[in-house]
Amino acid sequence: MARTLLCEIVTPERIMYSGEAEMLIVPALDGELGVLPLHAPMVAALREGEVRVKHGDDSVEWFAVSGGYLQVHEDKAIVLADEAVASSQIEVDHLRESMRLIEARLEELRGAATSDEVDQLHRDLAWQAMQVKVASRH
Amino acid sequence: MATLRDIKASISSMDSTRQITRTMEMVATAKIKKAQERIESARPYALAMMEVLENVARFVTGVSHPLLELHPERRRIVAIAITSDRGMCGAFNSNILRLTEEIIGRETEAGVEVALISVGKKAVSYFRYRGVEPMATYRDISDKPTFADARSIAEHVIEAYTAGEIDGVEIVFNRFKSVAEQRPEIHELLPVAKAVVEVDDAGVDPITPEYIFEPDAKSVLERLLPTYVETLIYRALMESAAAEQGARRTAMKSATDNANEMVTTLTRSYNRARQASITNEIAEIVGGAAALEDA
Repeated sequence: MARTLLCEIVTPERIMYSGEAEMLIVPALDGELGVLPLHAPMVAALREGEVRVKHGDDSVEWFAVSGGYLQVHEDKAIVLADEAVASSQIEVDHLRESMRLIEARLEELRGAATSDEVDQLHRDLAWQAMQVKVASRH
Repeated sequence: MATLRDIKASISSMDSTRQITRTMEMVATAKIKKAQERIESARPYALAMMEVLENVARFVTGVSHPLLELHPERRRIVAIAITSDRGMCGAFNSNILRLTEEIIGRETEAGVEVALISVGKKAVSYFRYRGVEPMATYRDISDKPTFADARSIAEHVIEAYTAGEIDGVEIVFNRFKSVAEQRPEIHELLPVAKAVVEVDDAGVDPITPEYIFEPDAKSVLERLLPTYVETLIYRALMESAAAEQGARRTAMKSATDNANEMVTTLTRSYNRARQASITNEIAEIVGGAAALEDA
């Protein structure tokens, strides 16, 4: 049997996912980063993006993460995500509705001095758009 | 002396109080369990994060980061007081408020200004009543604190600390020692203790592998420090949530016990009063009959 990698996706609130995989692909700051079994120990900072867990039978599980860290050590890869959601659990309709509301609010605030609220709204919007993108993957 | 009817009314009101306190005790018991589970499920992240921090710290020497910087002068600090939104939990909140007042007293004496972040309705209303204007207030999170709440609190203090507006941050919360014990504690949140990022070489396993850092150790560390602060706050919020239920359970248990005792005492005096009135009546009848016989 091929050597596998124990992947974990952990958020501050709970362990989101844990399982053996052939390959893990994460969004590092400078681009995507793939991790195979026997990888050298590594710590990477992650940006917002998609995490892919590839299994031996070529099936892939997708997750959206909102940034965090990855630690690889002795065939164990832990993704420490600020927020994470599995593609199968993303509620696209709900997100689209929420994005519409955020865009409407941003429109209202246009021209006003850039405030913390605008920054926050942009961040929320980007994160939700990312989730919608990941939801279409499976 | 209280009439029979008065005593009966007291008994029934005591009995309904007892039903309420008993129910609250049971609800708190159930909630402790959930709160404990939340603490448990947050542990993997905290542990893994500490491990990453330690690994990074080993490879970065002479780190400088605004959050590690000890400001030369202590002029203004922030105290984060974590209380509950609801009462009926014994000394849970008053312990926190007392400790916070102590910090304010001590620091003010030393010429340091203290700004407040109140978490929980109890702290919010207490300090508003005392005329202390808080820097920020948080309500309705004591039952089920989320990481987003912790992050929002952290943002306030990290920003102010980095900008040099404040020179220290202390957090006051109840630690969940056991179901029956809560301990109010004060922790220094900022500046982040140097010990966190400076690993003693003697304690390091010599065969620890070389880590690869992506993009590099310094930038990882710079991102990690705020996360570390957020995790500490999140932890404090959850400890407090579990401790609150523990305190409430204990308070409601003794309230129920007291109510039981009261009901027993009242029932006893009710019976005594009833007996007294019967004796009285018999005496009157006997006395009346004797009077008739004499006539």
